[in-house]
Amino acid sequence: MRRLAGYIAHHPVYYGVWLVVTLVYVAGFVALPRLVGWGIEALSAGLPESEVLRRVGWLAVVAILTAAVRFFTRTLVFNAARQIEYELRNDIFAHLQRLPQSFYFQWRTGDLMSRCVNDINAVRLLMGVGLLNVIQTPILYVAVVGAMATMNAELALYVLAPYPLFLVIARLAGRSIHHWSLRTQEGIAEASNHLQECISGISVVKAYAMEGLTGRRFDAVNESLYQRQLRLVRANAAMPTVTSLLPALAMCLVVQVGGADIMAGRMPVSDFFIFSMYVFQITFPTFIMGWVVALVQRGAASMQRIDELLSVEPSICDAANARSLPRLSGEIEFRGLDFDYPGEVGRAPVLRGIDLHVPAGSTLGVVGTVGSGKSTLASLVPRLFEVDDGQLFVDGIDINQLSLATLRGHIAMVPQEPFLFSASLADNIAFGRPDASREEVAAASRRAQLEADVRELPAGYETFVGERGVMLSGGQRQRTALARALLLDPSILILDDTLSAVDARTEARIQRELSSVYRGRTVIVVSSRVGVVREADQIAVLDGGRIVERGDHATLLAAQGLYARLAREQAPPAASQGPT
Amino acid sequence: MSAVSPTLASGSAQEALFEEDRLGKAYDVRLMARLWPFVSPYWPQMLLTLSLLVPLLLLDLLPAWLVKTGLDEIIVPAATGLPPAAAEPGLLGSLPGFVREAAEGLAQGFRALLHPPAGLDPLAWIGVLYFGVSVLGALFQFLDMWIMARTGQAAMRDLRGRVFRHVQRLHIGFFDTMPVGRLVTRATNDVENVAEMFSAGIVALVRDVLKMLGIAAFLFVFQPRIALLAFLIVPFMAVAAMVFRWKARNAYRAVRVRIARINAYVQENVSGMRVVQLFRREARNFQDFDQMNASHRDAWLQSVRYDAALFSSVELASNLTIAVVIWQSMGLAAAGTIYVFFDLMRRFFMPLRDLSAKYSVMQSSMASCERIFELMDEEPEVQDRPGAVAPHRGPQPGSVEFRNVWFRYAKGGDEADWVLRDVSFRVEPGERVAFVGATGAGKTTLIKLLTRLYDTTRGEITIDGVELRDWPQEALRRRISLVLQDVFLFTGSIHENIGLERPGIDAEAVERIARVVQAHGFVAGLPRGYAEPLRERGQNFSLGQRQLLSFARALAHGGDILILDEATSSIDAETESQVQQGIHALMTGHTALVVAHRLSTIRDVDRIYVLDHGRIVEAGNHSTLLARDGTYRALYRLQYSQQGDPAAAAR
Repeated sequence: MRRLAGYIAHHPVYYGVWLVVTLVYVAGFVALPRLVGWGIEALSAGLPESEVLRRVGWLAVVAILTAAVRFFTRTLVFNAARQIEYELRNDIFAHLQRLPQSFYFQWRTGDLMSRCVNDINAVRLLMGVGLLNVIQTPILYVAVVGAMATMNAELALYVLAPYPLFLVIARLAGRSIHHWSLRTQEGIAEASNHLQECISGISVVKAYAMEGLTGRRFDAVNESLYQRQLRLVRANAAMPTVTSLLPALAMCLVVQVGGADIMAGRMPVSDFFIFSMYVFQITFPTFIMGWVVALVQRGAASMQRIDELLSVEPSICDAANARSLPRLSGEIEFRGLDFDYPGEVGRAPVLRGIDLHVPAGSTLGVVGTVGSGKSTLASLVPRLFEVDDGQLFVDGIDINQLSLATLRGHIAMVPQEPFLFSASLADNIAFGRPDASREEVAAASRRAQLEADVRELPAGYETFVGERGVMLSGGQRQRTALARALLLDPSILILDDTLSAVDARTEARIQRELSSVYRGRTVIVVSSRVGVVREADQIAVLDGGRIVERGDHATLLAAQGLYARLAREQAPPAASQGPT
Repeated sequence: MSAVSPTLASGSAQEALFEEDRLGKAYDVRLMARLWPFVSPYWPQMLLTLSLLVPLLLLDLLPAWLVKTGLDEIIVPAATGLPPAAAEPGLLGSLPGFVREAAEGLAQGFRALLHPPAGLDPLAWIGVLYFGVSVLGALFQFLDMWIMARTGQAAMRDLRGRVFRHVQRLHIGFFDTMPVGRLVTRATNDVENVAEMFSAGIVALVRDVLKMLGIAAFLFVFQPRIALLAFLIVPFMAVAAMVFRWKARNAYRAVRVRIARINAYVQENVSGMRVVQLFRREARNFQDFDQMNASHRDAWLQSVRYDAALFSSVELASNLTIAVVIWQSMGLAAAGTIYVFFDLMRRFFMPLRDLSAKYSVMQSSMASCERIFELMDEEPEVQDRPGAVAPHRGPQPGSVEFRNVWFRYAKGGDEADWVLRDVSFRVEPGERVAFVGATGAGKTTLIKLLTRLYDTTRGEITIDGVELRDWPQEALRRRISLVLQDVFLFTGSIHENIGLERPGIDAEAVERIARVVQAHGFVAGLPRGYAEPLRERGQNFSLGQRQLLSFARALAHGGDILILDEATSSIDAETESQVQQGIHALMTGHTALVVAHRLSTIRDVDRIYVLDHGRIVEAGNHSTLLARDGTYRALYRLQYSQQGDPAAAAR
């Protein structure tokens, strides 16, 4: 909630003006019943029609003025709520952009989305209708109490007696509403996670005839969501029911006590009308209050969820004295690097004691068995994951001391699983350099052997690739990701098993093209295939998170170790038996 | 040099296809009719809420009448010393006989009720009655809300389940163009929106309108002259509401289109954040996002204005009515009558205040409803033939045959769109065959047809000698164990991912299977072994490990036709050779079809088919194909010269 107060403090003018307008509105609000009483007084005193009309006319004038002010009490606070919603959404988005990959391992997409969609909505309601009533209603009450007390203090006391009960009701019902709205939000998140997963994996669901299984699982999630919603509905319905009894009790007392006063001649009949008008007037705000309490509770629960997200400290960001360099030479050094994924307790170590020196402009090949840590090793260089100080250096500087702009600005990486955005092919290739010219984009796709494919696409470079690039084939996606990296002109190029879905002929052409790209750059090539790394200046062989062998292709073959074994097993089938 | 189109956010023509530009009607009979089957099982509850309307209306009218009685018959006579004013005739006298008698009967009963029990002050008794009536009213109100919301939620639970099952039945091509986020929205947010209609939308509106009519009718009967003048303001309010409705409709529509775009953008950025960060697109994407976000806010500011205008005018109308009532009561009406008008007119205008909120709820419910049904209308392209039953044991169990199969993804389309052209081959039971060829040659499509994710455009495919279209899809897929290039694992334990909760696959069986595909080694090293949980998409395991798990899953599935689609692309040679052993052991006695880029993975299959641009151009085993100077030999040399095997390169 403190965070929310900060957003409110950003808009002193909005809220200041709103407060003033609210006070004016309250003045009109309190005056109206008095004017009604004044009119009725004229009636019961049998005053001439002109006098009655004059009083009624005043009533109408004040009513019009009050309505005009009323317009602003609502628009001001609602507009402010929209403004805060906008700021909050921007802040969340910017925050998400700063969070490291380890965060995205631990938080599910569906969960993040429900915070960005449902929770922001709930907070906006809290800031709009919620705040409006929470601030305005107490002021109304105080004003009405004051007005009634000046007329008939005893009756005022009786009329107001029931209202403190509201606090008790709000507290009791509020707790249960808070609880069940949190649980309902979780239920919705669970359902969307389940759905998201089943749809993303629909080809597996179909291939394994899993529809029955996933359907049963969804039913369970769905039923539990329904049960939670029922509880929430009940809590939500109970609140206005009970609060609507407070004005009823007050009115009952006006009849009793006020009636007795009139019969005893202590009070004119017109005062009876004034008092009942006041009770009517505070009925709607009280009734709404019941609903507002639910809304505030829900908004607070949602703000808590958003706060939880915004409180995650970006563990990868520029150090206070981070250095920015105009250019990197591309020298990379690992010094006794140990690495484990955060939050993965008890798993086998991911990387241990990695010592590697990659001179600027040289090529490093990384091979190894499944799960040996190859991809992890590569993704540490652009600081996608947290590395301890003193373990990884680029250009002789600890990467934690380099600004991210310098580091990532001079590294281009082609990840193992290419992710494309739902935009045109050209936008995707120019992703890292949106200002690139058409010619540059075409040159990069030529180098990635993508150009022939582009010519066959319906709209060429303007073809919309769909979510995650679904409109392209696996090989096309990989080559697009390659083109995207090549366009950057990086000092360090990292290829993480980049061409697994590309056919041999195309791969050969790409390799040929890449050898010219490699010149003058530091290159890290990760592959499970020995053939891909054989030209590398230096090859590191990983097994179980450790470097077990290193050297160039020839040395490693001669060493007769893991590398040689990998190479042999991968040898062409005919090599041993085929014709020579 | 022209710059590449500037932003990802700016909509291109194709992007427009993905937008949710749905015009929000507030009420649509066609949609309501389609919703009916989901609500109709709950008709007793519906009937109950309808029957609550009459007591609710009565309980709304009673309090005012009680106060009137107190004022006119007890308080004022005592204060002024005059006898109670004679009842004003109103319209009651001009009503048809039986209505008048009924009304008078009611009034009689009411009077009897007003008579205080012995020893109780009459005014106190009225107070007690007043509170009692209010409690009763609140109870009915609660009952009404509770039943309605409950019915809505139950109906929506059913709808959600139906949407989920329908989505799963849709054919695979549908998912290529439909973003996942949008489908998730259908079953969650859209369904929630429809549920709102029950608690706050159309149902509440109908109830409010009936209540307003009831109050108006009562006042007209009670005091026609005052009522007529007091209600003069209502036509003006109606016009105001119409104008509001028209304006708000456009504002709300703009809001919805914009929020949909924002959410899609966030979803995409969250999924691809690694790439965003690697390419330092943060600032640029934030700028795009800010633009969308601001335009969404501005659309809202519009609708806020209409909403506030309606709200203030309702309050104004309510107060002006009071002025009119006072003026018109001059020398005519007793204090009690004025009170009745004050109280009832207030109740009359109350529902109008949140008309805008209800209108917005209904509009968004209807838009959601329309989107849901649009999805439900999507017919699965691949469907079971009515009455299709799994063949017991076909004429040729375990055989696979393609007969002159032609296929293209696009409906219609021209000659260039053919992905498979006249493909025919036959695989005997227990045979192992492989398909090789360049990217786009049609290998993966072949597999999609065989598993009937798509139907052939021309020609036919048989399994066990039975045409695929005659198989029920589920029975067909139980015969086939498929390992795909894109490994997809589900959240849950390793055990669940391998066994898929199939009956007969216990812990022992899972472990046995994992051993066969060499996955047991790394699983045993995990702290919780087979109970180790997988995160979303199995992110906490390496790609290679995931592939091994997907192998195990395929074996556990137990189909007797094994299909491997580029299954070993991310496995290192050593692991692969181990896996190959496992697969070979399994393949004995089964029919196997393998698609591969790496020719090393298919060294000892019985036959290799070489595909080129959708045609089978060569067939034979490895040595015959190599001996022939054809496509296979070219592919082979290319791969091994590049992989650096000296012996192969020399050839």
